[in-house]
Amino acid sequence: MAESPLRARPALDGYNRSIGAVALAEVSGLALVSAAAPQGGDEAFAAALAGGLGAERPATGDSSAGDKFGARVLGMQPDQMFILFEPPDPDRPAETVSAALGGAAYVTDQTDSWAMLRVAGAGVRNALERICMLDLDDAAFPEGRVARTVMEHLAVIVLRDGADSFLLMSPRSSARSFLHAVELSVANLSQ
Amino acid sequence: MSGPYRIDGGAIDRGRSLAFRFDGRSLSGHPGDTLASALLANGVRLVGRSFKYHRPRGVFAAGSEEPNALVELRGGAWREPNTRATVAELFDGLEAFSQNYRGSLRRDLLAVNDLLAPFLSAGFYYKTFMWPKSFWEKVYEPVIRASAGLGRLSGEADPDSYDKGFLHCDLLIIGAGPAGLAAALAAGRSGARVILADEDFVMGGRLNAETHEVNGRSGADWAAEAVRELASMDRVRLLLRTAVTGAYDHGIYGALERRTDHLAAADGKPRQVLWRIYSKRTILAAGATERPIAFGGNDRPGVMLAGAVRAYANRFAVGAGRRVGVFTNNDDGWRTAVDLARKGVEVAAVIDARDCEPVAEVPGARALMGGRVTATRGRHGLKEVTLATGERIALDCLAVSGGWNPNVHLTCHHGGRPVWHDGIAAFVPGDRLPVGMTVAGAAGGAFNAAGTLTGGHGAAVEALDELGFSVAAGDPPGASDEATDVAPFWHVGESRGRAWLDLQNDVTVKDVEQAHREGFRSVEHLKRYTTLGMATDQGKTANVGALAIMAGQTGRSIAETGTTMFRPPYTPVPIAAFAGRSRGRDFRPTRLTPSHDWAAERGAVFVEAGAWLRAQWFPRPGETHWRQSVDREVLQTRGSVGICDVTTLGKIDIQGRDAAEFLNRIYANGFAKLAVGKVRYGLMLREDGIAYDDGTTARLGENHFIMTTTTVNAVLVFRNMEFARQCLWPGLDVHLISVTEQWAQFAVAGPNSRALLRKIVDPEHDISNEAFPFMACGEVGVCGGTPARLFRISFSGELAYEVAVPARYGEALMAALMAAGEEFGAVAYGTEALGVMRIEKGHAAANELNGQTTARMLGMQRMVSKNKDCIGNVLSERPEMNREDGLELTGFRPVDRSEELPSGAHFLATGAEAATENDEGWMTSVAWSPELGHSIGLGFIRNGHTRIGETVRAWDGLRGRDVAVEIVSAHFLDPDGERLRG
Repeated sequence: MAESPLRARPALDGYNRSIGAVALAEVSGLALVSAAAPQGGDEAFAAALAGGLGAERPATGDSSAGDKFGARVLGMQPDQMFILFEPPDPDRPAETVSAALGGAAYVTDQTDSWAMLRVAGAGVRNALERICMLDLDDAAFPEGRVARTVMEHLAVIVLRDGADSFLLMSPRSSARSFLHAVELSVANLSQ
Repeated sequence: MSGPYRIDGGAIDRGRSLAFRFDGRSLSGHPGDTLASALLANGVRLVGRSFKYHRPRGVFAAGSEEPNALVELRGGAWREPNTRATVAELFDGLEAFSQNYRGSLRRDLLAVNDLLAPFLSAGFYYKTFMWPKSFWEKVYEPVIRASAGLGRLSGEADPDSYDKGFLHCDLLIIGAGPAGLAAALAAGRSGARVILADEDFVMGGRLNAETHEVNGRSGADWAAEAVRELASMDRVRLLLRTAVTGAYDHGIYGALERRTDHLAAADGKPRQVLWRIYSKRTILAAGATERPIAFGGNDRPGVMLAGAVRAYANRFAVGAGRRVGVFTNNDDGWRTAVDLARKGVEVAAVIDARDCEPVAEVPGARALMGGRVTATRGRHGLKEVTLATGERIALDCLAVSGGWNPNVHLTCHHGGRPVWHDGIAAFVPGDRLPVGMTVAGAAGGAFNAAGTLTGGHGAAVEALDELGFSVAAGDPPGASDEATDVAPFWHVGESRGRAWLDLQNDVTVKDVEQAHREGFRSVEHLKRYTTLGMATDQGKTANVGALAIMAGQTGRSIAETGTTMFRPPYTPVPIAAFAGRSRGRDFRPTRLTPSHDWAAERGAVFVEAGAWLRAQWFPRPGETHWRQSVDREVLQTRGSVGICDVTTLGKIDIQGRDAAEFLNRIYANGFAKLAVGKVRYGLMLREDGIAYDDGTTARLGENHFIMTTTTVNAVLVFRNMEFARQCLWPGLDVHLISVTEQWAQFAVAGPNSRALLRKIVDPEHDISNEAFPFMACGEVGVCGGTPARLFRISFSGELAYEVAVPARYGEALMAALMAAGEEFGAVAYGTEALGVMRIEKGHAAANELNGQTTARMLGMQRMVSKNKDCIGNVLSERPEMNREDGLELTGFRPVDRSEELPSGAHFLATGAEAATENDEGWMTSVAWSPELGHSIGLGFIRNGHTRIGETVRAWDGLRGRDVAVEIVSAHFLDPDGERLRG
């Protein structure tokens, strides 16, 4: 596949900055594809996830790791998963998932819908307290948990991908406002 | 030692001095001082003037209940009026000013109000400024406003920043006095997640102000040790300087943390944080507030609450006077005398209104049992009190205690009413508490240290048990069981002069009596009529005393009289804290299109469309009026080719075996038979048959559609469709997901659009008119392999396409399109040109789809298929919506072509009076058509289609316009659609 001559611009222009102990970095290069189970196709969908991605079907609010494409399957709603993975062909992530699942799900590319920002480091939860109404405590939101929420009026998907690390996804068009909100939250807490 | 009134002991850091200024006078205090304690230490007794009568006032209390000592803090834009000196933590360089006077604080010119007091009684404004009516706005109100208002605002924007946040816990404990600390220890040791919040800057509550012993050591030391232990626990969060101000639904509380108010500068950090705290259980350990006794001249500086005098002595090492008297109706008042005498402060007398044995031996003090204070003297501060016996006693401080009121406020935030408790002569929390709340300690009416400690501990154990924790709390801390007897006594009947109930609002016993005489029987009416209990202190020291007076007037008990409703906030919360960081540019988020930066670099003028910023037009050098830019964009698009970023339109990916059937039910017109590779225009109705959105939907595959919605309705349409999918037709196999953000989409319009796109779309895709006709769609590659979607649809009426690529390529595609279009003179056009072209073409937009519009009005009644069911189908059949003489969308042009049409004008027959009954419809959209060279409009008019050629008036009463217009077809250009099919 020829490299596309159109230059791709990341939602946050590759933003990468540390404020105090917290590192903020745009995550680019990962693909995000939604997969919805057809009615009556739950078992086939679960089997396809296991067979095609080596991943268990997570409950809503949980995620599971697959053994292909570095995939993580996020349980977004009862009949819908988001699959976060390293795409072999960045221009055709939906096709990759569709093929892996053997047509057992309706897939839609969401890669460019969401700006992805990883915030990590000691004190990251104290910073997120300023904009995130979810309880991110270990007991309530352990590693691997995922949730949709709202921060500063913006839709956000939160994935806890480490003890002190969160992957935040928010709509691309408002990504700069979102980044500002997160940055400010970290800056307000830093010494 | 800073200040002539400093005494030994206390919890201040004498090793460091803090310089501060009050009304320009340099003074000093110590870390641990409040502004109030430092002023008292320096002998400053007169700190402000009262609200109404401009009476001299001094520090009255030692906490957030302070009614008197309101000051302005800091200077310039940082100036903050009406701040309670009793909660303002002293810092080096603090600048404070007294307020509410003209001239000087000591010689306030407005003190003349006090002489006019007989005329300024309750209801004064209501009675006095009634006539002449016209005087209110022009004369009375400006004068009243000029003389009212306490402190002064800076008049500048607040330079500080504020923030908000969200906290979660098993157990929220409100108040870190003995009950709160005991509860927190029990919960923390059991492993519960605890938030302990206290408005003070030191935890411990009254333990820091008293000489109690807890577990065999001083209460203050025990509290400090308890705080150290709590601070070492991972699951316990201590919120100092944090007032929990409101109880909301489901265990949610509001709290204001003052983070930098005690520092000279905020250093760029938020000054205050407004927390929303989610709790599973809450223990209210908010303590109690002392109340005064009303007697003649009881507002004089030097008359203070007894517990406050004790706090200043024990915690702040300040003698509030050199020769102090105590006036009490309860045992607790005696503690002030005992503690002061122990500290070497001369106590002249303890005047106890009760006829009982003296409660304690106070060295050097006379015990005057059954005594009552009737009057005071001293111009700017207390010099002498007079007793009912006529005896005069020289005093410079009178410590008054009328008993204690539990701080029940937060228990009432869900409509609960406190109940009267005779044993302590005070209101205690009622049964209807906010869900999950229990009350412990003095807030629940337990007034001795032992009771508060065991109460707090017990409440925590109970809450933990309910939450399923295995409790490892140990035994409650032990303390002495001191006497707290009280006999209700509210007002010295023999008082000479005014006896004050509400010091902040200058409400006297006489005012309450007068309100009663004038028929105000409800406490809520009393409050509004006299202003009792209003403003920053919300009557914390005033309310119960006034209720007692009112009860006495009506012959009812206090229990029957009841209280006013307590509402949030418990203590003042700045509006800035409610706003948090949502101000200025950050008031709300901004959505930017993929070509935003490209457009900005080219000087585009942007317009808000919801949260989006869209390019409105692209001025070029030499263009001095927006119309020049817009006209050029329109003419060049119609003459050659133009490009517009239409990414903001809502896009919804629809998949499933029943997707076609689903769309058939969502849209008024049929979609089941739409062929793969085709696009169709669709109209959506609400359940009531009114048209609410329109757009195009493309069939990408047998079970795969992509819908576009209008920009403003993108979320609404998606939400309605999710509702339909999940609730109306759960049996259909259909899935929805928004792809608005996923695709950057550009309209390429104009006779040269195909030629331009031939340079962009990869050559293996045939986009000739035959292979890719009007309303075709397909997946293509652009610029050498970038995946794209191409739609042959037209909003402008020209030969036109929309091309979409993944959003990350959007900016590059915009540049590529413009580069490819250079040979055609391609222009970028904005929303104005888009609007002009759609009006020229007669396409409806938001102006037409305004929530009143039926398909029939739009001329689309035939689209509402009667062969199938769809949302809105049935109710669109209603007769009124199908009247033969109903409104219909048509075009309008001025009879005199040089006239501009007024948008929003109403149509009237020639010669008809401009009256509602003559109204024939209205003009929805107007534009200057550069193609036609005159103003054009769209509008709804009765029977429009049968009246083409008729002349009516477009009458606009707002702008004073009355224009003769001709009714014409809404399709000003290319009515047969030859261009877009070409």
